[in-house]
Amino acid sequence: MNTSRMLGLVMIAPAAIMILLFFLMPVVLTGVFSMTNMTTATGISGGAYQIAPHSLNDLKSTMPDIAEQMAQPRYAIDEAGMKAVEGLGLDAGIATELRAKHIGDVFQTRREAERMIKGLDQRPSTPDVKKISEQFNRSVVNSRFSSKEELFSALDTLGFKLTDAQKDSVADVTYTGWNWTTENFSRIASSPDMARVLFNTLLYVALVLVLFNTAYAMLLMIWTHYMPSAPATIFRSIWLLPRITPVVIYVLMWKWLAWDTGFISVLMGKFGYPPKNYMLDNAYNAWVFVVLINGFIGASMGMLVFSSALKAIPKSQFFASEVDGASRWQQIRYIILPQMRWPILFVTCYQTLSLLASFNEILLSTRGGPGKATEVWSLAAYHTALNNYAGNLEYGLGAAMALVLVVIGIVLSLGYLRIFNYGTLVSRPLIED
Amino acid sequence: MRILLDNFSKSFGATKVIENMTFEVGHGEMLALLGPSGCGKSTTLFAICGIHRPTGGRILFGDRDVTDLPSQARNIGVVFQSYALYPHMTVAENIGFPLKVKGMATADIGKEVDRISGLVHIGNLLGRRPAELSGGQQQRVALARALVRKPDVLLLDEPLANLDAKLRLEMRSEIRRIQRETGITAILVTHDQVEAMSMCDRIAIMKEGEIVQIATPAEMYSDPRTAFVAGFLGNPPITFLRGVMANGAFVIPDSEIRVPLPASVSAPEGAKLMLGVRPEHFTPTGDISAPGNVTFAETQGRENLYDVQLNGGSLLRSIQPVRHDVNIGDAVTWAIDSKNALVFDDDGRRL
Repeated sequence: MNTSRMLGLVMIAPAAIMILLFFLMPVVLTGVFSMTNMTTATGISGGAYQIAPHSLNDLKSTMPDIAEQMAQPRYAIDEAGMKAVEGLGLDAGIATELRAKHIGDVFQTRREAERMIKGLDQRPSTPDVKKISEQFNRSVVNSRFSSKEELFSALDTLGFKLTDAQKDSVADVTYTGWNWTTENFSRIASSPDMARVLFNTLLYVALVLVLFNTAYAMLLMIWTHYMPSAPATIFRSIWLLPRITPVVIYVLMWKWLAWDTGFISVLMGKFGYPPKNYMLDNAYNAWVFVVLINGFIGASMGMLVFSSALKAIPKSQFFASEVDGASRWQQIRYIILPQMRWPILFVTCYQTLSLLASFNEILLSTRGGPGKATEVWSLAAYHTALNNYAGNLEYGLGAAMALVLVVIGIVLSLGYLRIFNYGTLVSRPLIED
Repeated sequence: MRILLDNFSKSFGATKVIENMTFEVGHGEMLALLGPSGCGKSTTLFAICGIHRPTGGRILFGDRDVTDLPSQARNIGVVFQSYALYPHMTVAENIGFPLKVKGMATADIGKEVDRISGLVHIGNLLGRRPAELSGGQQQRVALARALVRKPDVLLLDEPLANLDAKLRLEMRSEIRRIQRETGITAILVTHDQVEAMSMCDRIAIMKEGEIVQIATPAEMYSDPRTAFVAGFLGNPPITFLRGVMANGAFVIPDSEIRVPLPASVSAPEGAKLMLGVRPEHFTPTGDISAPGNVTFAETQGRENLYDVQLNGGSLLRSIQPVRHDVNIGDAVTWAIDSKNALVFDDDGRRL
C-alpha cells in the first residue's frame, strides 16, 4: 500500500467529513423532504390517526355510507360504561343484569339501546334509562389513535365491519402525519402561481445579469482602463461600496430613498407631487428598484474580474494594435473583448447561480411585493417553507422548490459551458502526469 | 521615406531621458540605435511610432510633421520585442489585422496576407495560433504584420532578443533581406553590436540619452569617436592600456612599452592617455613588442582567444588563428600593431 496516499486520505478526512455534513447532507435532506408532504400541521415526526370532521368529509366521496355512520354516535355496552353505570348509584341489580346479558353488544342508535335497557327485568325508570344509555354513548369522531391497529380495533368494537380496502382508505384520510408523495412536483408543474414566480425569476436573473453584472461591469472596466490610474482606483473603490456595505444597511438606504418621507418623495414634493412609497407604489417601480439594488452590488464583482483580466493582457498588445491603426473602439472590439471570454463565462455562471439562490436583497426591500410582483423562486421557496402569513409552513413543497432551483442551476451551468466552448478555453496541459 | 528627428526631447515627469537629439534616416536606409539598456533607444523608437509623445522638438516622415499625430495616423510598422501577437487570432488574422481595421475587403486582405506571408516564408502556418508557433515563426509573423500595410517606416524593437543563438543568426539575415526587398526605411533598436553591425547601413550609438556617433559599421569600427564607442563595437571587445604622453609617444610608466604616436595626435607632455588595442592588432606580427603571461585561453574553433597580462600589470587581448603551442601561464612576446592602435584622452575622447 502506498503510504503517502494513505496519509493524503487521512489528511483530507476532516474536510471530507465537513463536506459530507454541511454540503452534501443538506442537499440530500432537501431531496428527502421534497418527496414528502410535510407541513406545520403534519410535523416532521410521525403522526396519529384522528377521525376529524374534515377526514369524514374526505371519506364521503368514496364511502358515503360508512362516512355517514361514523359521523353518528353508537352505543356500545363496554366495561368502561358499566363502571360508570355502577357509579350512578342506581339499583345494583340493573348493572348486574346489564353486564350479564348485554356486555359487548353494540347498538346503532340511542333508541335501540334504550329499548334494550327498558326491556331489562329490573325495569329502570325512564329518566334512569336516559342516564344509563348516556354512559354508553361512543363516537369515533375526534378521537385520536396512536396506531392503525388501535384505530381498527376501536372501529371494530363499535361494530364497523370494514373490508381491508375500506380500512386503508379510512387510515389514509385520518392520518395526521406526513406521507411520501410526488405531489409537490406535480403541484409545481401545474400551478399558475409557480409559473408566474418562475417568470419573475428568469426576468430578475436576466435583467441583473445582462444589464449590470456583465454589460455595466464591462463598461466600468473599459472606463477605468482608459483613465489615469489614480482616478481609476478611486472610481473602482466607489463601485465596491455597495458590495462592502452590510446588505441590511445598504437596502435600508434604498428604502430611505424611496419611502413616503424619503428623499424622492421630499424632492417630488417640491414640484407638488404627493408623497408616496416609490419602491412599492407599483410593480414597475418595484422591479426597477430590485434590479438596481442587486445590480449595483453585482457590477463591482464583474468590474474586478474583468479589470484584472484586462491587466493580464500585455501592454505591448495595446501598443501593437495602436500602431496597426486600430481605433479605441476597434481595440475594444478586436483585442479586449475576445480575450474576455473566460472571465465573462466565469462572471455569468457565478452570478447566475448566486442570483438564483439569493433573495435577501428582495426580502429586505420589497418582500416580493407589491402583491407578488417581485416574488422570485428562492424567495417563494422561503415563504413556502419557512415564513408566511398563513402560518402553515409547507416544508415538503418548499424543499421541492429548492430542488427545482438546484436543477435549474445545474442545467444553466452546463448550458453556459457549452455556449462558451469550455473545452477550448482550457488549454491542454503541457506537463504529463 | 526619410525620417528626421529635429531637436527631439523626451522626459517622463521630472526624469529627462533624451534632450535635443537630432538625426536623420535616409530613404530606404536601415539605421541601428545601439546602446546599453537605459540609454533611451527604446524611448526614441516609441516616440517615432507615436506611443510616446515628444516633450520637445519635431519628428518628420518625409516632409510630413508627425510630431502630434497618434500612432494610428502615422503608417508605421513595428516589431516589438515580445512580438505582441494577438493570442486569440490565427496567424492569418494577426497579419491581416492592420488591413482589417482599415476596413479593407476580406478577399483583398486574404491576397495581401498571402503575398506577405510568402515573403517571410510562413505561408504554411496561416491557420495556427501564436501559441502553436516557435519563437522564430512568431518573429516572422510579427514582421509580416508590421509590413502588410506597406508602412512608410519599419521599426524593430530588439526583435532578436528572445531567440536562441542559431535562430538569431538566421533571422538577422532574413530581416535584412526583407528590408532590402521592400526598400523600406527601417530603424532597429538593439543592445547587441553584432546585430547592429551586420544588419544596418548605419549605426547610431547612444549613451545616456545622447547619440555619441553616427556612422557606417566599418567607419565606426575603425574610427570610433570615443572610447565608449570603441569598447561597444567589436567582439571580442577592445582592451585599453593606460599610460602618458612622453616625447610624442604613448608610454606606460614602469614598463618598456613605448608606442610612437602619429603627429596628428596632439597632447601636452605627461597627459594621461588610453591606448585602445583590438584583439586582432595584438599578435606575433605587430611592431611594438609587449611581453607578458597568458592568463586566459579560449578556443572558438577557427580562432583562439588569449588574455595576456603584461609585465606592468595591464591586460591585452589577442585573437589568432588556431594554434596549440600556447597554454595558460606561458610567457609570450607578442606585439601591438601601432598603426591601428586608437588613442584616447583621459575622458575617452579620441585624439
